Amino acid sequence: MILTTALAVPLLGAVALAGSTRWSDARARQVAVIAAVLSLLALVVAWVGFEPAGPLFQHVDELRWVPSLGVAYRVGVDGIALSVATMSALLFVAAIVYPMDTRGESRQYYAWLLFLQAVSLGVFLALDLLLFYVFFDLTLVGMYFLIGRWGHGAPQASALKFFLYTFAGSLLLLLAIIGLYLSLDPHTFDMRVLIEQQPMAGKGLYAGLVFLALMLGLAIKTPLVPLHTWLPQAHVDAPGPASAILAGVLLKMGTYGMIRLPLAMLQETFARYALTVAVIALVAILYGALVALGQRNLKRRIAYTSINHMGYTVLGIAVAAAAFTDDSLVRQLALTGATVEMVAHGLITGALFLICGSFWQRTGEYDLDHYGGLASQAPLLTGFTALAAFASLGMPGLAGFVAEFQVFAGTFAIYPWLAVLGVVGILITAAVFLDMLRRLFFGRLPVHLGQFVELTRREWSVLGVLSLGIVVIGVAPRFLLTLIEASAGLLVGGH
Amino acid sequence: MLWVLVLGPLLLAILVYLAGRRCGRAALTLGASLGMLATLLLALVAVMGDWQGAYRWSETLVLSLELSSAGRLFAVMVPLVALPIIAYAGVHDLPRRDDHHRTTAGGARLLALLVAFVGAMQLLVLANDLLTLLIAWELIGACSWALISQRWGEVAVARDAAHAFLTTRFGDLGLYIAAAAVFAGTGSFGYTDLAALDGGLKHVAVAGIVLAAAAKSAQLPFSAWLFAAMSGPIPVSALLHAATLVAAGLYLLARLQPALATVAWFAPVVIATGLATALAGGVVGALQGHAKKLLAASTSAQYGLMWLAVGVGFPGVALVHFVAHSFLKAGLFLATGIAERQTGSYTLADMRLGRRLPGIAIATAVMALALAGLAPMGFAWSKEQVVAAAGQQGAWLALLVALTGGLSALYATRFQWLAYGRATRRESSGLPDAPSPSTVERVTLMALAAATLLLSLLWWPAAQAWLTGALALSLPQSHPWQLVVSLILVVLGIAAGVMLARRPEQAVRGWQALAANWFGLPVLAQGIATRVNALGHALARIDDAVVDAGLRATARLARWLARHHAREGESLAEELPRSLSRLVDEGGRWARQAQSGQTHHYYTGIAAGLVIILLMLVIGVAL
Repeated sequence: MILTTALAVPLLGAVALAGSTRWSDARARQVAVIAAVLSLLALVVAWVGFEPAGPLFQHVDELRWVPSLGVAYRVGVDGIALSVATMSALLFVAAIVYPMDTRGESRQYYAWLLFLQAVSLGVFLALDLLLFYVFFDLTLVGMYFLIGRWGHGAPQASALKFFLYTFAGSLLLLLAIIGLYLSLDPHTFDMRVLIEQQPMAGKGLYAGLVFLALMLGLAIKTPLVPLHTWLPQAHVDAPGPASAILAGVLLKMGTYGMIRLPLAMLQETFARYALTVAVIALVAILYGALVALGQRNLKRRIAYTSINHMGYTVLGIAVAAAAFTDDSLVRQLALTGATVEMVAHGLITGALFLICGSFWQRTGEYDLDHYGGLASQAPLLTGFTALAAFASLGMPGLAGFVAEFQVFAGTFAIYPWLAVLGVVGILITAAVFLDMLRRLFFGRLPVHLGQFVELTRREWSVLGVLSLGIVVIGVAPRFLLTLIEASAGLLVGGH
Repeated sequence: MLWVLVLGPLLLAILVYLAGRRCGRAALTLGASLGMLATLLLALVAVMGDWQGAYRWSETLVLSLELSSAGRLFAVMVPLVALPIIAYAGVHDLPRRDDHHRTTAGGARLLALLVAFVGAMQLLVLANDLLTLLIAWELIGACSWALISQRWGEVAVARDAAHAFLTTRFGDLGLYIAAAAVFAGTGSFGYTDLAALDGGLKHVAVAGIVLAAAAKSAQLPFSAWLFAAMSGPIPVSALLHAATLVAAGLYLLARLQPALATVAWFAPVVIATGLATALAGGVVGALQGHAKKLLAASTSAQYGLMWLAVGVGFPGVALVHFVAHSFLKAGLFLATGIAERQTGSYTLADMRLGRRLPGIAIATAVMALALAGLAPMGFAWSKEQVVAAAGQQGAWLALLVALTGGLSALYATRFQWLAYGRATRRESSGLPDAPSPSTVERVTLMALAAATLLLSLLWWPAAQAWLTGALALSLPQSHPWQLVVSLILVVLGIAAGVMLARRPEQAVRGWQALAANWFGLPVLAQGIATRVNALGHALARIDDAVVDAGLRATARLARWLARHHAREGESLAEELPRSLSRLVDEGGRWARQAQSGQTHHYYTGIAAGLVIILLMLVIGVAL
């Protein structure tokens, strides 16, 4: 029941917020924070109760729903889902606590955030394909309203572009899911059965088409180059906390989906196309990093580094899927790396986008040339940004390194050339972030920034918690790696 | 247990940073120095014993520490050299706030980072696997970035810090690849696994390690980043050159030499790189007019000699040369810092402080003469060992090494002459007024000079015997002619150095100016950076204009389809049923005409019908 609690509490909170018209802004915030924290706590309890040596899926809840169609309410987690879901819940708490100008509509804002939290967690916790798809689509609705109503610039257009583009991806996903559903007899949407039976094995073209539809749908969400152009625009016009959620949680649904669906259910087909996927991931790594270097807009720059980082994740997944080696140790390492990258990127980029929000609240400007010399004016902001930037460029001792190192080590053992080329990505990212730090904080303080305010208490405590997570994963990742490795081992070595 | 050596300084760094707001400047410096002294004592205890350390991340990832013989030496040398530098930094570089004796946040940060740097370096020299090494390797790079960009208010500083960081990180990529190659071959990351590797993977791993070491050690073609690193404060340069960042490259080669040397191309590549850097660095130093950059070129050159020693198979000789070098190089940097306080710049031509600061001038002279390679300085002995080691490979190599010794005599003399030479009374009076150096600055400098002088003992055979025993190193067979040739070249170098020093500054022009600036390497690095940046901007434009265009085109197509359908499609859809109904209407009217009420019309109709039925029957029967 613990996972259902994690899902239900924010959903109830959202309903309560939507229904009660008399709550003040402060009260609405309180309710939202409490609901989000309770949901996080439920997941922490699930984590503590998770048995790494146990079966793949644990904490399973199942409820009959439409038995004639094989649909049921099924939730449950493996180590991968649990770590990503817990990170997401933490990020939602951070986004809700982070101060934000809600334009007098606090109740609605927090209701949408809680709704988004519930359905996002649903994506990671669902064990039923149809349920997964429903949650997957509902996240679009939540994000659409958050960008459209509380965004800046041209929020309506960006929200629409985001919605339509990713919705097109969802449709492909739906087709693939139906394809998977029909391939089994008796028909079922139960993921555990699908993973167990590997229904596509030996089905040639049919399997290839289902795989293509799945990967296209998920690649749009991830996003992989060249299906990424919805991302920068949505980020730039979204409010800071929504951006943090978009990058930290929503993008993970693409890569998490790749692990849960094609990697787990279509192992044979994925193995055939693993190299193609790995090459596309490499393109995303290098292209994302280079384009980020070419951005003058703070938020666009960080958005493009997300493309780079998600490239590492996809690279790790592709390596884990490549079956022409018997060495499951290597593939397990790559998959563990990919999952840690998801968690690390969520925390790091979440922090960076929250920081972007702080910049916007103070000046209403994302242009890097507008800034400079802020290190003296706002030392705390400088410190947190530098930490997040170094984490993002893969500095050891911080979370990103643990992920990227494992991805590279795993990749090299299978596709040496891709690893050699991919490692250049971390050099370009280093240039991207050093340049960003230089333009924001170094040099002389321009006159128009004389009134720039240092981080408030609430801001730095949120960033402090995220930074703590980044450091702990970087220094003592054992608690996380044990959890992920057990499931990764079962996934790549199981069949 | 060995983790104490690493965690101690890191913890101390945090304490120093936090205490920076409350303690006075003197207390802070004293605390940091005492902490460093404790680290040193702890290291001494550790190297006597047989401590180990391991820390598990996961099934496959384990961080392990072990004391190797090179590691023991470095674990002591790093805090030993850092101690005077930190004490000096506390006085020389901590700006005082106006109100009390407290320092600014920047000052506390500088001290804390210096201490943390030592911790990261200890991790590097104690690492026993490539993962731990890589962690430390990147951390010292980050520390150096933070230290070089210490004065972030100045515009050029951030660029220089990024230059240094990105160049060394380019080398780090080699280590990533090397670690991955070892893992691919053996399933773990240990140094012992590296030795067990064979085939193509071994070549890849060795190439990665050499690349990483070359970038950190500022060997060709990466030497230029050391110039950029000169934007940092003086203690930072002293620490970088003497014991940490640059030393890391050499440490790695010396530590892994037995495994690396099994690859055939290792020795030639390392010898060639080291020799080329030593020669080129010597020329750069001979022509450079900026005090810190002269010393930086000298650092590259001296580490080049150490590389060469590793290449010819005598890592122990390289380690001895490293020890001798670190004392004198740290001391020379500190002396340069004092000189800069007197004149306000690092331009050598403006210094000539011998008359004003005679004591410091003598201490500097000791170290400069050692750098020149003049017997009986200890540094000269270790250089002779490098010559002898090179002689094992061939007399030509020994001669070339002796030539680099001559170059180093040249720039060392020139440095001493210009920075602390005795100017005429009239010239001295032209110097701006400045407070005389503090006691701490003097004492630390003297201590380093004394250490340099003390190493002269190395010429004493009993000391040599003790050294070879303690470090378990083998010394090359030396020939008397090598010593003679070396000394002649040193004397010639000193003479040339005096001549060059008396030449007016303006004489450095044309190719000489180019050579003084590392033969244009910084420009090359700048060019690469600019190109990559331009590529990024071009791709960003393409991304907006072309990649996104597909999406926009789809949207336009959808809008066009919608409009089109709204007009043509809709009217078509409207027209079809309408024409159908008109047709039916028409048919109805026509059918009504048949109902004429006239009997003959009906009979005709019936007759025609019967004929048709008959015909059909006939056709049906016939078929």
